[in-house]
Amino acid sequence: MKTMQAVILAAGEGRRLRPLTHAMPKAMVPVANRPILEYIVRALEKNGIREIIVVVGYKKEQVIRHLNGLEIPVKVVVQERQLGTAHALKCAAPLITGDFLLLPGDNYIDTASIARIMGERNAVLTWDHPHPSNFGVLMIRDGSVQQVIEKPSEAPGFTVSTGIFSLGPAFLDFLGDETEIPNAINAMIAAGTPLKAVPAEDWQDAIYPWDLLRLNAALLQGVRQERAGRIGSSVVIKGQVSIGRGTTIGPNSTILGPVVIGEDCEIGPNCVVLPETSIGDRVRIEPFTLIGHSLILADACIGSHARITDAVVGTGTQVGDHATTSPQRTIFSIEGELIRAKFGAIIGDNVRSAPFCVFKNCIVGNNVCVEDGKTLYGEVPDGARII
Amino acid sequence: MCGIVGYIGWKEAAPLVIEGLKRLEYRGYDSFGVATENGDINIIKKSGKISESGADLSALVGTIGIGHTRWATHGVPNDCNAHPHTDCTGAIAVVHNGIIENYAVLKRKLIEKGHRFKSETDTEVIAHLVEEYFSGDLLAAVTAAVRHLEGSYAILVIAKDDQRIVAARKSSPLVLGIGDGEVLCASDVTPLLEHTQRAVYLEDGDVAALTASRIDVYHDGVRVERSITHIDWSVDDAKKGGFEHYMLKEIYEQPEVFYNTIKALEKDTRLPMLRIPAEITVVACGTSYHAALVFRYLAQEYSSKRVSVEFASEFKYYTPPLRDMVIAVTQSGETADTLTAIEKAKARNCSTLAVTNVLGSTVSRSADWTVFMCAGPEISVAATKSFTGQLAVFMGMVNVMADGKFTEVLAHAHRSIERVLPQEMGAAVSLLLSATEMFYVGRGVFYPVALEGALKMKEISYIHAEGYAAGELKHGPFALLSPETPVVAICTPGRTYGVMLSNVKEMKARGAPVIGIGVEGDTEVESIVDVFIPIPEDHQMVQAITVSVILQLLAYQTANALERDIDKPRNLAKSVTVE
Repeated sequence: MKTMQAVILAAGEGRRLRPLTHAMPKAMVPVANRPILEYIVRALEKNGIREIIVVVGYKKEQVIRHLNGLEIPVKVVVQERQLGTAHALKCAAPLITGDFLLLPGDNYIDTASIARIMGERNAVLTWDHPHPSNFGVLMIRDGSVQQVIEKPSEAPGFTVSTGIFSLGPAFLDFLGDETEIPNAINAMIAAGTPLKAVPAEDWQDAIYPWDLLRLNAALLQGVRQERAGRIGSSVVIKGQVSIGRGTTIGPNSTILGPVVIGEDCEIGPNCVVLPETSIGDRVRIEPFTLIGHSLILADACIGSHARITDAVVGTGTQVGDHATTSPQRTIFSIEGELIRAKFGAIIGDNVRSAPFCVFKNCIVGNNVCVEDGKTLYGEVPDGARII
Repeated sequence: MCGIVGYIGWKEAAPLVIEGLKRLEYRGYDSFGVATENGDINIIKKSGKISESGADLSALVGTIGIGHTRWATHGVPNDCNAHPHTDCTGAIAVVHNGIIENYAVLKRKLIEKGHRFKSETDTEVIAHLVEEYFSGDLLAAVTAAVRHLEGSYAILVIAKDDQRIVAARKSSPLVLGIGDGEVLCASDVTPLLEHTQRAVYLEDGDVAALTASRIDVYHDGVRVERSITHIDWSVDDAKKGGFEHYMLKEIYEQPEVFYNTIKALEKDTRLPMLRIPAEITVVACGTSYHAALVFRYLAQEYSSKRVSVEFASEFKYYTPPLRDMVIAVTQSGETADTLTAIEKAKARNCSTLAVTNVLGSTVSRSADWTVFMCAGPEISVAATKSFTGQLAVFMGMVNVMADGKFTEVLAHAHRSIERVLPQEMGAAVSLLLSATEMFYVGRGVFYPVALEGALKMKEISYIHAEGYAAGELKHGPFALLSPETPVVAICTPGRTYGVMLSNVKEMKARGAPVIGIGVEGDTEVESIVDVFIPIPEDHQMVQAITVSVILQLLAYQTANALERDIDKPRNLAKSVTVE
């Protein structure tokens, strides 16, 4: 049997995830310290798929650099301009020789789901979602998809497309001038090729930045116990905790898993890390700080006596001492849509905040500077200075 | 990182293995070796590059062969430590890529059992372990031996009078290629591509027995099927992993190189010795010379040491009076002129320090002590990440001389480097496309940065670019300024900011288009130049790196737009090993 190919679409920016997609595409946003794309590549590899094609575009060098480090051979195709998912697939079309899997690079999928769909030709992995209006809703009869209705205002059902398809080379003929995949899928169904609906085992999507916290919590369930680095005296570590090489955990700190801490970090002394927290490489957390249910990206620094919960802290950001993030429910307007969300703070890359700041359910852009004692809420644009 | 290759079939194995190893040279090239089976095990191993050795292969007869190319990360690359390694009797030969973590324990046990070790490597343990279990069946012996190994490995084993190669892997890559009456194996697919497009990837924990006509794969002692994959990549894609050129790949590796080098320096306990000499002479060529000039400015400013920098090629014939310490800088460690300089310094009783990228290179053997930049193999002829590696070494040294004043600054520098990588450069590039001459100007530490920027532009885009200390431009070169000669001006805040601004205005007055590099949000520079390229605000030391990276990207993108052969510019070679 000829082995299957897989095409991963990782060219899009993921605008709704801003400010976190300022320096990398959505597929590269790290969750539990690994880019979402890497979970997909590894799941494919575990299913014995050896020919993986990744379509890159927005900040492509970041993707290529990471893929190079994986030791899994991956072919890269460049989509020069981001003209939609169907166009992205068309860029990869010359390399497609037979049946292939099509996957978006920015949603988590587990190994078992891929195994379910691999044997099928013309099938889609489906998922029951409580808020189907953000997705392609599937009209299913007798196990076959009748139609994909993209982002309906009034959803006729809860079963949505994960965007993961198993397709034959004939599908490429339906791409035509379409810009998005679902249109081409509808055209294929209309032409009489049935599309089987296969429920996925575990699928996780992040549309808005605060969704990353949920995704992070879900993926941390799979964290493996690992203890590299130096762990000080009287440190309490409970549950699944992974600590990277070169990291120092200062005395009297408490870490309650699931937690993953990257390499060369400096934590504590006297810090508390609560469950569902990911801490990237080279992060510094100064003494007497509490962090929980948060995503701290690489090179960030959190000052002492801070309380950071339900927050995403961007790469290279420095949060001054005595900072607090306070989770509250507010309505946000993102890309023209009004969304209700509850989280502490989403802080972009290279933000500097002086001591005693309160982040009250806010989204802070990249390179923002905040003077001491400010209370931030709502949205702060990139490069702003709060004085 | 190392590379391994094996061949079993109907052709002479040795030349094919050597050919394959050359393809893997990007994985390391400080020593190599080949073993063949022909009723006896024949071995040749040598330190140095395969492509330059012109090794005599006539002793290597046989149609079964294995080979290895090494990038020593610990342990000196000499003939003895080179692979393949053999057991006590020389009847079993092993090549290995990876690290055996429990080798010390195994070695002790094997020595107790009477095995005699010849090298310092972890690999030799495997050979003796296989010998220990060998009772006529090589496959059974390897299967038993690998159970004791902890760590990562991809190994190929051959034995006297056994018409097979036995392969095993765990956490290190190994691919088999199925040809016509021949089977190849290698660390990645590149060596296979010329022979076959049918590849079999082994899984972790697999042991495989290869003959000329078949592959038998075993996992936990059970025979398993591994599917055949069709490969259709070109040789170059496989190595560059999606980047258009090695140079761009290496530019993007720089944040990591800088961070790793600084981290490695922190562990070097000999560095405080740098506080002792009152005078330091640095000898270097090309890009290394520019890195040394940066060091001169920084060391004089922050430690008040007297530093002089000499071209190695001049130093040999016009040796200045030497005192205290001489530092030799060379990426490859093989630059002929720099090597001679070290000998001269030693003859005058100076202490010598080598800064290089290649462990076990000639320079590291002849200098009193060596500091390594952790840049990894650099393939593009135009040096990028090795320059950053050298800057990291020098800045680490300055930090020690200044009693650790810059530890924090250097620990976060990789962030700023990361931030300039995606910098949009289209406007600046289009300004240079029609130029045949151009200038780079800067002051202080940015003067050598300007020299390096000009060198990169010359090397790969073939535009005649000259770097000047901004104040020197008026003493002659000003006559050349015209609307056809673009100028790249480095205008960062500091003592020279004001005078740089007036220099830029003078150049503008002569009609030269100016590309200005300044810190983010500097509207004053932005308003007087034609194209403004921002860099993040940071310490002057870090800015010297970020500006160099910007200038590398500018040269790269210009050369790319002019469709030059970026990785192999005309007339140039990576390391100059002749005078």
